[in-house]
Amino acid sequence: MGKVIVITSGKGGVGKTTTTANLGTGLAATGQRVCLVDTDIGLRNLDVVMGLENRIVYDLLDVVEGNCRLRQALIKDKHFGDSLVLLPAAQTREKDAVKPEQMRELMAQLREDYDFVILDSPAGIEHGFKNAIAGADTAIVVTTPEISAVRDADRIIGLLEAAELYDPQLIINRVRPDMVRKGDMMDIDDIDDILAISILGVIPDDQDIIVSTNRGETVVTDKKSRPGQAYRNVVRRILGEEVPFMNLQERKVMHWFKKILSGEAQ
Amino acid sequence: MNTELCAIKGTREGLVITITNAAQFSEVLQSLERQLLASQSFFRGSSAKLFLHEGTLSDSQMDDIERLIADYGMRLNREPLTVQMQRPQVEQVTEDTREVGEDNTLLVRRTIRSGQRLHYDGNVVVMGDVNPGAEIVCTGDILVLGSLRGVAHAGVEGKVDATVFAFRLEPTQLRIAHVISRAPDEKLPQPSGPEIARVVENSIQLSVYNH
Repeated sequence: MGKVIVITSGKGGVGKTTTTANLGTGLAATGQRVCLVDTDIGLRNLDVVMGLENRIVYDLLDVVEGNCRLRQALIKDKHFGDSLVLLPAAQTREKDAVKPEQMRELMAQLREDYDFVILDSPAGIEHGFKNAIAGADTAIVVTTPEISAVRDADRIIGLLEAAELYDPQLIINRVRPDMVRKGDMMDIDDIDDILAISILGVIPDDQDIIVSTNRGETVVTDKKSRPGQAYRNVVRRILGEEVPFMNLQERKVMHWFKKILSGEAQ
Repeated sequence: MNTELCAIKGTREGLVITITNAAQFSEVLQSLERQLLASQSFFRGSSAKLFLHEGTLSDSQMDDIERLIADYGMRLNREPLTVQMQRPQVEQVTEDTREVGEDNTLLVRRTIRSGQRLHYDGNVVVMGDVNPGAEIVCTGDILVLGSLRGVAHAGVEGKVDATVFAFRLEPTQLRIAHVISRAPDEKLPQPSGPEIARVVENSIQLSVYNH
């Protein structure tokens, strides 16, 4: 029996989809069988981030409405094949086309065949969010170090509790250590002070993410990428390992060190 | 349940020694001495008022109490209490909130998060934080054993002497009865300790809490 995890945030644009894609790929890379489900009906983009858009024939709604068998709608990943599949969202329908009970049924089927089912939730707290959390066992809340994102994350945590999804875990995305150091960005402690839930990972901001996302690739398998390393750590924590948080300042030192070596330092 | 004939309680008006039945005065004195002994010098330097559930005390009995508590460094304040003290009631326990006594106090054992609103007829005690975007509205006092960063409205039906207390009092907006105040736009240095807000001359005043 697999575990169903919903990735959610309340606020849009904080990196839910990127996180879903990276955690899914990262888990698959460790040998887990993973199914990603895009529940953002009408505004799907997990398929784009995974680079699988052109392979979509059937979607979540087709499965729910019985237009196809579940197997037919699952798209195999380019690198991991059968052990990483995507169930895309319908693009031409509305969010209320699916009901929470149908989502629960679907999750019950998927968890039979996969070790992890990861649901990418839409932004907001309405119908789509309720569908996304309906069949989930646990939740990962994604936020960025901005007051508005943290506020929405707090709202989401309250709603998750109300839906009896207790002990959600937090991923803080797009942290810029240089800005935190100058006091221009909320630091981890500020966020932890308000949300007070366990932190699963801190992902540094990096342009690798934009580059890889636009190519339909994930950074988690890139050994040289800093956010990739951070995502790999999150994957190991999900699998129950104790992994210390990486030192976000490290890169700055390396950068400075390289500068000296190349004779650029003032 | 407590079978002592008297009890020392902290209230909005400071310490109050409540006496269940003044008729059994010698037992009351013994009970009081037992509790003062047990508390060691905890109450030293404070003053206390008296409240009687039943019966009356003569002046000489008041003097006896005054002498006894003076031995433990306390003073007796003979002014009458302005609020009714309630007899202790059996607590009703529900899942994570419970009501205590007729004074209607709601005990919330969790953090109130953004978008959550608590409306209550009575006092509210939160064992957790009240986050920005959350709202507590009640007819009595509000106590937050944590950080209060959301909106708090105490004494909503016009109780001007209602107070708002928090370990960290940093509300977005504070309302007591009909008086409204908001957080300053610029960030001010915050005292790190508990603070209490009350209405003074028609505006809300925050002060560091020391009883």
